[in-house]
Amino acid sequence: MSIISSFLDTMAALARDSGFAGFFADGGWKNIVMILISFVFMYLAIAKGFEPLLLLPISFGMLLTNLPYADLYHPDFWNYQTVGGNDHYIDYGNILQHGGLLDILYMGVKLQIYPPLIFLGIGAMTDFGPLIASPRSFLMGAAAQGGIFFTFVGAAIFGMSAAECGSIAIIGGADGPTSIYVSSKLLTDKSTIGVGTIALAAYTYMALVPIIQPPIMRALTTKKERSVVMGQLRPVSKTEKLIFPILVTIIISLMVPSAAPLVGMLMFGNLLKESGCCDRLVKTAQNELMNIITIFLGVTVGATTQADKIMNLQFAEVMGLGVVAFSIGTACGVLLGKLMYIVSGKTINPLIGSAGVSAVPMAARVSQKVGQEEVPTNYLLMHAMGPNVAGVIGSAVAAGVLLAVVK
Amino acid sequence: MGNLWSSFITAATIDPNKKDLNAGTVSSVVITGIVVVFIGLILLILCVSIYGAIFSAAAKKKAAKAEAEKKAAEQSKEAAAKPAASPEPEPLIEDGIEEETVAVIMAAIAAMSASAGKKLVLKSVKTSRPQRSAWSSAGIAENTRPF
Repeated sequence: MSIISSFLDTMAALARDSGFAGFFADGGWKNIVMILISFVFMYLAIAKGFEPLLLLPISFGMLLTNLPYADLYHPDFWNYQTVGGNDHYIDYGNILQHGGLLDILYMGVKLQIYPPLIFLGIGAMTDFGPLIASPRSFLMGAAAQGGIFFTFVGAAIFGMSAAECGSIAIIGGADGPTSIYVSSKLLTDKSTIGVGTIALAAYTYMALVPIIQPPIMRALTTKKERSVVMGQLRPVSKTEKLIFPILVTIIISLMVPSAAPLVGMLMFGNLLKESGCCDRLVKTAQNELMNIITIFLGVTVGATTQADKIMNLQFAEVMGLGVVAFSIGTACGVLLGKLMYIVSGKTINPLIGSAGVSAVPMAARVSQKVGQEEVPTNYLLMHAMGPNVAGVIGSAVAAGVLLAVVK
Repeated sequence: MGNLWSSFITAATIDPNKKDLNAGTVSSVVITGIVVVFIGLILLILCVSIYGAIFSAAAKKKAAKAEAEKKAAEQSKEAAAKPAASPEPEPLIEDGIEEETVAVIMAAIAAMSASAGKKLVLKSVKTSRPQRSAWSSAGIAENTRPF
């Protein structure tokens, strides 16, 4: 008899400790809703091909973190404490001793290690040739960052805190790693949104670039402007390509030191590529390192999407303001393109301006596609790559400004 | 300049948790942001344009020089071609080497010497004794492949 009762007791204890019981505990229903939301993002990534390399890890991280009692991630470990006058103190010793798998991996996000490493890989994959051949493209890359700062205004009108305003605004830069970099640095435990929310919005909209941008581009340009055929770019010598990353690193890092980790690593990757003597390092930066970091970054950023940071009004506001940020960025780029069209004596197609929002190379492809709708033989792609890669530098500078202002 | 710059940046520092930002603060962020981004990228435009101009000028000079040299070389070649009409001695070919092989070697040498601007002559073709056995070659290839 005693065997049966002890068996039943053990079974009951196991049931109480199981995740299933956790769903019925206080607030457990929220985890169920979050798991269902993670299914939606998995569907978008797998079936619809929305930035699957990032949305799939993010959505799976979202699933893992919302399984009750799995203890993979502890949001309370990441609350700021005030120790010896430093009010941004995080007890990393405690995290290393008691943290779960995702806590340990999340240190790379919180300590701003992953985004610069992703930038290293992006640099190793990017050809700045079109930008060096046509330096005026920088202007469009700068103008498209207007989306970031105008959205800052929008978020402030909603009464959000400075950290939240900055984090939402940076979505307009259309640059995932930059968004994660800025939001993980700005957002505090008092913020109502999390890094995961920002990453979800940024990557969802980056996937939607081909849908969001064309209507804005068509609305702001005339048929005549869209039909401008642009000639070939001048060839760029190897020495010029070698000087460029060094020059950009020095100038931007001296101007906005807080942008140095992003710009520095981006340009380091590019120098490795252009040097032509570090093939093995370039391959690693482009492939293995980038892929490993993408997995770590995605799954841990997904883990920060706890129910209380997603299921609130602010999430809807982030998604709403995010699309506004994207649209204004596109519009600013196209409008500057129009200005350059006039100034250059109608030799610049304003459509390449929209590529100034980073989203490499998707935004440049959109310029190419919309341009070809008017003149099928017009190849704007290389011309659009100029503003496109300038946009990556521009959004890193904008991120640096936000980090310098909000602290 | 550095102090001025940092005071410009830090003058508008906002606490991350501050809510209900006033219009003045927000507009200062917007203006600072847009101005700094534009100044940064315009600086880059200037630098890239300047060194772009220097390099394309240098490239043009180089191209013009190369063109002139090519012309001069062609002229001297024409002049030299006439007296140097004596044919080169025939290369010594070891028995057992096919004519086709010799032709391929000569073609390769001609292709190499054309790009180097020199005229090379094939003097002899011999079979060489293998330096290493097939096994030791395979071993070396295996060990050096990763590098």
